[in-house]
Amino acid sequence: MKKIKRMFRYENVGILFVFPAFLYMLVFVGYPIIRNIILSFQDVSAGNLVRGTKSFIMFDNYSALFHDSIFRTSLSNTLRYTILCLVFQFMIGFILALFFNQRFALAKPIRGILLAPWMIPVTVTALMFKLLFATDIGVINYILRSLHLINKNIEWLTTPGTAMFALICANVWIGIPFNMILISTGLTTIPKELYESASIDEANKVQTFFNITLPLLKPTIESVLILGFIYTFKVYDLVYVMTSGGPVNSTHMLSTYSYKLSFEMFKYSKGSAVANVLLLILLVVGIFYIKVTTGGEEE
Amino acid sequence: MKRKKLIALFAVLTMTAGLITGCGTSGNTEESAASVDEGAAGEETAVDEGAAEETASEAEPAGEAEAVTIWYYWETEGHQVALDQVIQEYNSSQSNYEVSAKYVPFADFKKQLSIGASADELPDIAILDSPDHASYVEMGIFEDITGKFDVGNYYEGTVNSCTVDDKLYGVPFGVNCLALYYNEDMLSAAGCEVPTTWDELMTTAKALTTDSVTGLALCSVQNEEGTFNFVPWLWSTGATSYDINNENGIRALSFIQSLINEGVMSKECINWTQGDVMNQFIAGNVAMMENGPWQIPTMQSEAPDLNWKVTLIPKDSEYSSVLGGENYAVISGGNVEGALDFLTYATSEEQVKFMMDKFGYISADKTIAANQFAADSPYQPFVEELNYAMPRGPLAEWPSVSDAISLAFNQVITGTATPEDAAAEAQATIDGIVK
Repeated sequence: MKKIKRMFRYENVGILFVFPAFLYMLVFVGYPIIRNIILSFQDVSAGNLVRGTKSFIMFDNYSALFHDSIFRTSLSNTLRYTILCLVFQFMIGFILALFFNQRFALAKPIRGILLAPWMIPVTVTALMFKLLFATDIGVINYILRSLHLINKNIEWLTTPGTAMFALICANVWIGIPFNMILISTGLTTIPKELYESASIDEANKVQTFFNITLPLLKPTIESVLILGFIYTFKVYDLVYVMTSGGPVNSTHMLSTYSYKLSFEMFKYSKGSAVANVLLLILLVVGIFYIKVTTGGEEE
Repeated sequence: MKRKKLIALFAVLTMTAGLITGCGTSGNTEESAASVDEGAAGEETAVDEGAAEETASEAEPAGEAEAVTIWYYWETEGHQVALDQVIQEYNSSQSNYEVSAKYVPFADFKKQLSIGASADELPDIAILDSPDHASYVEMGIFEDITGKFDVGNYYEGTVNSCTVDDKLYGVPFGVNCLALYYNEDMLSAAGCEVPTTWDELMTTAKALTTDSVTGLALCSVQNEEGTFNFVPWLWSTGATSYDINNENGIRALSFIQSLINEGVMSKECINWTQGDVMNQFIAGNVAMMENGPWQIPTMQSEAPDLNWKVTLIPKDSEYSSVLGGENYAVISGGNVEGALDFLTYATSEEQVKFMMDKFGYISADKTIAANQFAADSPYQPFVEELNYAMPRGPLAEWPSVSDAISLAFNQVITGTATPEDAAAEAQATIDGIVK
């Protein structure tokens, strides 16, 4: 009885408040993850999904993956795609944020309108870009031809290299507003007095940027990049709609390959092994993110 | 102090309660999302289903009508309406069972069945793509219905697709196959005869290709749909689905590659579904296409003035086509009695005729198919083509074999491998599956 009383002491009330959320996470996030890890150590296919024994083969699925050339392509594709997308959407987003931070008429409404790509459902964006990049009827080829930059239509989505480029373009377009808005918000937190005193000390624009803006934005930039990494790394819908991993498996990502293995080819265990590789990488990034953000608060 | 604790406890309780109700609502949104999907595919169906629900609630107090659920993947509005009409008539004809149908998009169908199987949340009847049938039989979710239906009159290939180890695990719904559509005006303008061999096809396609028109199109996406469109060319050479790395298999791959290299078929075909191919054909961008009879109702309503005809797929050494269509399967552990009762009704001659007519399908029952169409009907060439049509599989590992075949064709179309290398790679994969 005393123990129960102690549990309800005021200092411990916080735990009770956290408890529902914890329970929710346990059931809807924890359970599927653990189940998926177990599945990846078993040998489950169409034959024994419902009935029969599910034998444990431990790391066989994982070692099979590293001999699977499509898996290796998916892994390198996902990394390449994430890094290239991050670089471009961050740089362009940063420049736009700085631009709209200037005080001029319509700066705020235009910045709001620029958010549209972020709000459009990804499948819609994907279909739009699929049409833009179409070989014979695509607007991009039409423009390039009208400008006499090319004399033969480029087969964007049907050639392995350019299909990846098209995917990156589409995702950068989606990602720019996200980066822009977060950096804009970060910019408003920098006290104006700092810029005023800098101008009294006759610092030029470049000096102000590197000595005031950039250092003070560091926590924002870290969050933007890490969140961007997580969002980009788990891409699925964009690729599924635009290329479905094609042509000839050249644009498969970890997510699309995992889906294909599990639900198109009935190789459930191998598919979940791919999903776990994805999870593991994101987990490392996630822990890094928590370290960075909580570290910042303590300072 | 006591009061504070109580308040805290109360707060926690409300939050937990909120959690539970929260789950309930999210379940509901899922369902309503599904019905939005249906709405997008065909508003009329959604309305009809609303009516179905009403009748259900009316029937409930009166009796013990047991629910029988069906999953299907037809997105065409006409298909949904026709199926719904049969269900309505069945429901009002008896009071023991109340049948309802749910649309699951084709892309999600296999996934939903897999998830449903492991979560024990399956319908009572699934209407599924015939090449997948064997995989689900192996999964053990289909009821053995040997002797419950007379399939003696059905096309052999369709019955084979739902037979495993001499046991019947399904009833063919309807049958279709691929044939060659051609734009008659374009053909006569170019002064061409209807092609019957690959050489003639190549010459005709070249003659028909202009700046704005490509001679031929066939759906070449890298999945089962693509495989469906590739195998007639493969089989026409004498190669089988499991034996590709030989002179015949390589000849089939080379022929498709030459269509691309000669510019008579667009590389974009690897991103075109069969529906996209049909749209290109009725838009006049394509002069000939490989496609199935289910496109005919849409083509007739979308492009009534287009002058087209259907003929056999040109041959290399023998005429060949591929058998498609859906099978009914009864899920074991569900309402088996009710499912069988509905299937007996739905497979009766009158109902079959009605649905086949609305679907643009050919009946899997040979006797019905023989008299189904008039001699000049555009469907008639498909009935003839059926004599040369063979099924894919049946094999539990068919999805993996299919993946190897569609990959090989995609490799030669995109030029990422020579026909020889593509054939060798596909063979290596297939040998690893079929020992």
